[in-house]
Amino acid sequence: MKKIWLVLTLVLFVVGCGTQNENLAKGKELIKSDKRRKEERAVREFKLALQQPTDNAEAHYLLGFYNSQEFYEPDTTDWQEASIAARGEQMFLAYQAEQGKYLERLVFETLRDDDLDVQNAALDALKQIYNKGDRKRLLNQLQKALKSKDNRDRHNAHWVLGHLGKDDPGTVVPILVKLLDHGRMETRLNVVKALGEAGSEEAIPALAALIESGSAKWKRDREEPEVRQLAVEALGKIGGAAVPELVKIVQNKGSSLRVDAIRALAILGDEKVVEPLLDALKEQSSREVVIPLN
Amino acid sequence: MIKKITRFSRPHCYVSIVLLFVLILGLGCDNQYHDDRLKMQVQQLDSDLKNRWSTSGVVVLNTTPNGPAHKAQLETGELISYVIAEYPVRSAGDFKSAMKKALDEDNNFLLYLKDKPPLRIALRRQGDKVGLSVEGNGTVRVKQIQHGTPAANTDIQVGDIVEKIVDERKIYSIDDYKKILGKLSEKQVTFRTSELIGVKIAAVTALGDLGDIRAIEPLVDLFKSSPEFSLRKASISSLQRLVELSVLNELFQQFQSANVDQLPTDSLQPQQLESAAILGLLTVDRIENTATLKAPFGTQFRHRSERLYQKINEGQLAELAQEYIQISVEPEQEIRRACLSILGILKPVSAIDVLIAVLENPAEIPGIRFQAGLALSQIGQPAVDALIAAFEKGNASTKDIAASALGGIGGAKARDRLINALEGNSEPAIQLTLVDAIAKIGDAPSIQALERQRQQYQQDDDSGIRIFLDEVFKSLDNGSM
Repeated sequence: MKKIWLVLTLVLFVVGCGTQNENLAKGKELIKSDKRRKEERAVREFKLALQQPTDNAEAHYLLGFYNSQEFYEPDTTDWQEASIAARGEQMFLAYQAEQGKYLERLVFETLRDDDLDVQNAALDALKQIYNKGDRKRLLNQLQKALKSKDNRDRHNAHWVLGHLGKDDPGTVVPILVKLLDHGRMETRLNVVKALGEAGSEEAIPALAALIESGSAKWKRDREEPEVRQLAVEALGKIGGAAVPELVKIVQNKGSSLRVDAIRALAILGDEKVVEPLLDALKEQSSREVVIPLN
Repeated sequence: MIKKITRFSRPHCYVSIVLLFVLILGLGCDNQYHDDRLKMQVQQLDSDLKNRWSTSGVVVLNTTPNGPAHKAQLETGELISYVIAEYPVRSAGDFKSAMKKALDEDNNFLLYLKDKPPLRIALRRQGDKVGLSVEGNGTVRVKQIQHGTPAANTDIQVGDIVEKIVDERKIYSIDDYKKILGKLSEKQVTFRTSELIGVKIAAVTALGDLGDIRAIEPLVDLFKSSPEFSLRKASISSLQRLVELSVLNELFQQFQSANVDQLPTDSLQPQQLESAAILGLLTVDRIENTATLKAPFGTQFRHRSERLYQKINEGQLAELAQEYIQISVEPEQEIRRACLSILGILKPVSAIDVLIAVLENPAEIPGIRFQAGLALSQIGQPAVDALIAAFEKGNASTKDIAASALGGIGGAKARDRLINALEGNSEPAIQLTLVDAIAKIGDAPSIQALERQRQQYQQDDDSGIRIFLDEVFKSLDNGSM
């Protein structure tokens, strides 16, 4: 029995080697070259490659990566297939074929691309993975990126987690809140930003506690000023139930973040903040106060 | 069985609650302190307030009614930055002990001598000599000044009468506060408080952005009464912003009455649309023919714009601006400029005389005089007579500004006076301004007048006026094409 399996595997391997996807190879060659309109031509090859039975994962991924609506007349089928969503779909198909490889590639490579469209397509693909794929593994990878030493990884992970948090705060926000204790300040910065972009009111208590820690007695209990400042901004982005929290900061005369809170409130344009702002105007100017003692 | 367990665990529960309470109390008190003598609670400042706003001290959280702090009208929220101790000097012994206390830790104090400004005495190192000895009882006089000491480097003479020693201590933390207050056993304590100007400026700016009418009176008060230029500047800028917002009322009312946040661009007045877009209140999509109010502010403002418009047009702000465009009232030019902008937007006819006075004032900065002319041209036809009068009697610079303003207004009367001045050749110094103003009016009689000028100077190759006329005609041709 074992022997049969062995032979079968061998045969499959040989067949696999023999029928390498020619169009895929050609497309990749084009990308590396310095030919005119190389991307447009490569995309054509990738499309053809998808009709072949082998190496589909890579062809899907590269099609998602390089396709662009600029190549086509508007409103044609090709043009529609080059939309961000369709490109994300291609990247997701690549993931479905080879989960581990393409998950890592999307998080640590594709998101780093300079092209905004590529980033958005990758975001779309990651959203699909979140909804239909291995969610746990995705979240682990994103957390790993958020803890990375590399600024780009942290930034990209915060961006994706912010979006995922907007769609599913129940799962994502608690993960982010837990990361507020992470040892790396830059990671905490990005976590706070992600919480702001997720915009979920669930994050308010954690952000408020972090902001308040500035007046803690011991230095080790105090969050860094940069992080606290961003936390105020995040509260501003959350809006709604965060407004009273921001007003509280404005009213805390000992807070260094009053100016930030005022700015965040001004952007929200909420009428409720007019009174606390007027109160701030009434504060005493500098003076000397003499207190007699008995 | 169950009963047993609950009975057993109840004391545990109490213990843990008490423990928790103690813990919370302990933690909570870390950054707060109750001063039993002054009867008030103070709070530690944020750690980074010092770095970001160069501010330090403790904040008054509350004062106990009828306690010493409360009676002295120290208010909740005031920031205590300095404690000042005063030591009256009535004898040589007083002097010695006061000096010792005052020098402790910070090595410096203020010495008050009769009929002299206070002198700061600072030692380089702890234990150094001040170099001053005194004598007398009741009235204490300087007896001796030692050479090479800090006292010898100041303006102190033998025989000067010593009144008191004052020690100012900067407070950085609750611990500082406790330590300093603990040492003072005087009859009184003096605090110096600091104002957080940055917070007020941010609040003032935010109030301008929010477009709420409740902000107007407090901003006017602050503008009139604050000694701080930065605050007054921020207040007038915010008022200017409110005025700018109020004139968009008509536009916002269209959204409000349709009860929508999006309208076709071509149903709206182009100029207002443009200003609203510049102020960031809405986005315009010419291709889709849509103007969309931006959330959150744009969408909220449509509910407020009518009230703001009415309040602004009660005339209070126009009056304020008229007063503060005068250099005799307002020394800060940035504020005079802001007030001129406000008048340019509100266009009150009552401001014409004051604006003319600014325009004519030789002591005023040329840029501001010109801005007064601009405001007059924004007021338009009602200002024509006053401008012509200023033109008749003014010197060259006044004529220049008035002519330019008249060109901005246009109309037959302004035009005829300008053409008359140009053709009478009565004002050679402002010839170019006249040509420019007439070209700006640009109707048939204006063009004919400019044509006549061109013919007159046709042979004159080098004259500036000819070159300028050529330029004017070139741009007129381009404009009409």
